Amino acid sequence: MTVNIIVCVKQVIDPEAPPSSFKVDEAGKKVVPPSGVPPVISPFDENAVEAALRVKDAQGGKITVLSMGVNLLREVVKKPLSMGADEIVLLEDEAFTDGDSWSNARALAMAVKKIGEYDLIFCGRQAADWDDGQVGSGIAEILELPCVTVARKIDVANGKAVVERVTADGYEVIEVSLPALITVSNELGEARYPTIKGIMAAKKIEPLVWTPADIGLEPAQAGAAGRKMNLEKLYQPVHEGKCEIIEGESPEEAGVNLALKLREAKLL
Amino acid sequence: MKFQGVDYYQIDELLSEDEKMTRNLVREFLEKELEPLVVDAFHEEKPLDMRALAPKMGELGMIGACLPEEYGGNGANYVTFGLICQEVERVDSALRSYIAVQFGLVSYAIFRYGSEEQKQKWLPSIARGEKIGCFGLTEPNHGSDAGAMETVAKKDADGWVINGTKQWITESSVADFAVVWAKTDEGVRGFIVERGTEGFSPTSQSRKGSMRASDVGELGFSDCRIPLENALPEVKGLSAPLSCLSQARYGISWGAIGMAMDCYETALNYAKEREQFGAPIAAYQLVQEKLVTMLIEITKAQLLSYRLGRLMDDGKANYAQISMAKKNNVSIARMCARLARETLGANGISLDYSPIRHMANVESVYTYEGTDDMHTLILGQDITGIPAFRRQL
Ligand SMILES: Cc1cc2nc3c(=O)[nH]c(=O)nc-3n(C[C@H](O)[C@H](O)[C@H](O)COP(=O)(O)OP(=O)(O)OC[C@H]3O[C@@H](n4cnc5c(N)ncnc54)[C@H](O)[C@@H]3O)c2cc1C
Ligand SMILES: Cc1cc2nc3c(=O)[nH]c(=O)nc-3n(C[C@H](O)[C@H](O)[C@H](O)COP(=O)(O)OP(=O)(O)OC[C@H]3O[C@@H](n4cnc5c(N)ncnc54)[C@H](O)[C@@H]3O)c2cc1C
Repeated sequence: MTVNIIVCVKQVIDPEAPPSSFKVDEAGKKVVPPSGVPPVISPFDENAVEAALRVKDAQGGKITVLSMGVNLLREVVKKPLSMGADEIVLLEDEAFTDGDSWSNARALAMAVKKIGEYDLIFCGRQAADWDDGQVGSGIAEILELPCVTVARKIDVANGKAVVERVTADGYEVIEVSLPALITVSNELGEARYPTIKGIMAAKKIEPLVWTPADIGLEPAQAGAAGRKMNLEKLYQPVHEGKCEIIEGESPEEAGVNLALKLREAKLL
Repeated sequence: MKFQGVDYYQIDELLSEDEKMTRNLVREFLEKELEPLVVDAFHEEKPLDMRALAPKMGELGMIGACLPEEYGGNGANYVTFGLICQEVERVDSALRSYIAVQFGLVSYAIFRYGSEEQKQKWLPSIARGEKIGCFGLTEPNHGSDAGAMETVAKKDADGWVINGTKQWITESSVADFAVVWAKTDEGVRGFIVERGTEGFSPTSQSRKGSMRASDVGELGFSDCRIPLENALPEVKGLSAPLSCLSQARYGISWGAIGMAMDCYETALNYAKEREQFGAPIAAYQLVQEKLVTMLIEITKAQLLSYRLGRLMDDGKANYAQISMAKKNNVSIARMCARLARETLGANGISLDYSPIRHMANVESVYTYEGTDDMHTLILGQDITGIPAFRRQL
């Protein structure tokens, strides 16, 4: 059985960018995109692309990349194509900006419907910018699909997926019928590198670009206008680091002193 | 990615999607896989293990990117090759040496002057990183004046017999084969000599103060007999090895930018954090002047190489234009390395920071592929019509 997979990937500010470049516009309640720091694909989404490529390697199939935003840099969002994905759909329109988990999940779900044929939808477990981790399950809910979160391994056979799901103290194994939505965690393993061959192939793939109207959404239902959640305040917390060296005559005594200190601070 | 690039004049906007994607790929790969190995390799003068690393680079397509697909490449353009060189040299010149030799010197020589069998035999395997080649032109007594080489090849009924010594040869001891240039009755010709051929002895050189992460050494030929079909058939004369040098020099012009970028970035970050006399040293005019000088020179070098790359892609670049970019960019990289090292104070002499390593490496780059002086003379001849290389005493 060949498998059709849709992978949702988000373009985010590079989480490895120097912290000094991170700025918040408190009045506008927005993160200011740092100048000179190119965006990247959210790292968990790269794991999701890798998961899809592994299924494709094993079973054959087609991978469609789905990405939403504005100013989507082609050299960034097309990266999954250079890794081996087949097609790309972009929801690219001013109207899609500043959505919350709900309006984002809704737009993506509508796009998935329009794409039509799929057995699996993969998302990263959470996006590296807001870390909400809700869009994946949101899409599943809207499309009335089963959803398995934080996957570390996915095997597809006989119309079912067997998923290893990360838990606090290990993992559980879940069998789910298809179609299904799975969010993927970094425990799946590092994403493969693109190849220059893949880059040359990706160059020839033109993205399909859709607006809200193309997926049957009123502008008032997308992005900021479609939010159900209100962001009250956005600010940069001030980190204060204090360091105290706990001494002792011997390493043992220092250890005891440290334990006492920690108990005093109600940390033990 | 840790490194965000130095792009004061929005030169990125001039790059195509695939050029940027390739640059990003190479940058990401190097940061994860190779950067961590470089300092120890340099410190201990234990050349990077290209036998192990090359297949990884080959899998990505970094080595033969510009070769046509039928020979294992990806048909990428010269700007892409330049960007690859830039990224690898940002990490260490030894890696750029490897790439420039494999593509610019060895593959190009075979691609341009080899027989179809030679191309099929060597090019795809070099591109995959399975085979490594080296390029023997320089000799103990003849460097800049390569035309005066003493290595000779004599033809008899069963093949060629080579005698002579090549020195300062990159990847000499690891290479599976050498492309060697020797004098024959028909002029200078190129020969493919495989490792293990009787009379062929490659050795590696140590106690280097520069390019310590690179394998450099000697190739000895003593009645070394090779089959007739190992000669590169399509050329006779010194113009052949010189045309290969043009390819590598072009790559070096970009590599030098990578080196300079790394020095600039290191110095800038350091200056913003390091406090003396109650303020970050970046607050002092003398330090700002150094940083600004570096940035201006890097930006000019970027524009030079970018334009040269587009000319190469249009088939319009000439060797003197390549000389200008090699000469200028390596000189400014040399200056940036020194300025960055100065800015770091005593930390600047520690291998924990990259500038002192680049500063040592750039001395090789300044000398090989035509010394800085040679490029002045090439340009001088081009604009005056008068060669100033030779004089009668
Ligand atoms: C790390 C490293 C790797 C190398 N790898 C390779 C390789 O893979 N293959 C290869 O074939 N070679 C290689 N080389 C050799 C390199 O190409 C030569 O070192 C270079 O061509 C200079 O030759 P030379 O060292 O003999 O210096 P010389 O030619 O002896 O020059 C010495 C000095 O005299 C100056 N000079 C010479 N002639 C003139 C003139 N007419 N007018 C004014 N000044 C002049 C030069 O500019 C220089 O400053 C490598 C060198 C190094 C350091
Ligand atoms: C091999 C070696 C041996 C040494 N041995 C000794 C030793 O035996 N004893 C000892 O005490 N020290 C020793 N030193 C330390 C040496 O004296 C210091 O490195 C030197 O004083 C510079 O200080 P720094 O490294 O902290 O650089 P910094 O003072 O941090 O300077 C960094 C850069 O900022 C510039 N800068 C700083 N302030 C200003 C300003 N106000 N305006 C403009 N530019 C500014 C500097 O010129 C430099 O380029 C040694 C250093 C080395 C490398």
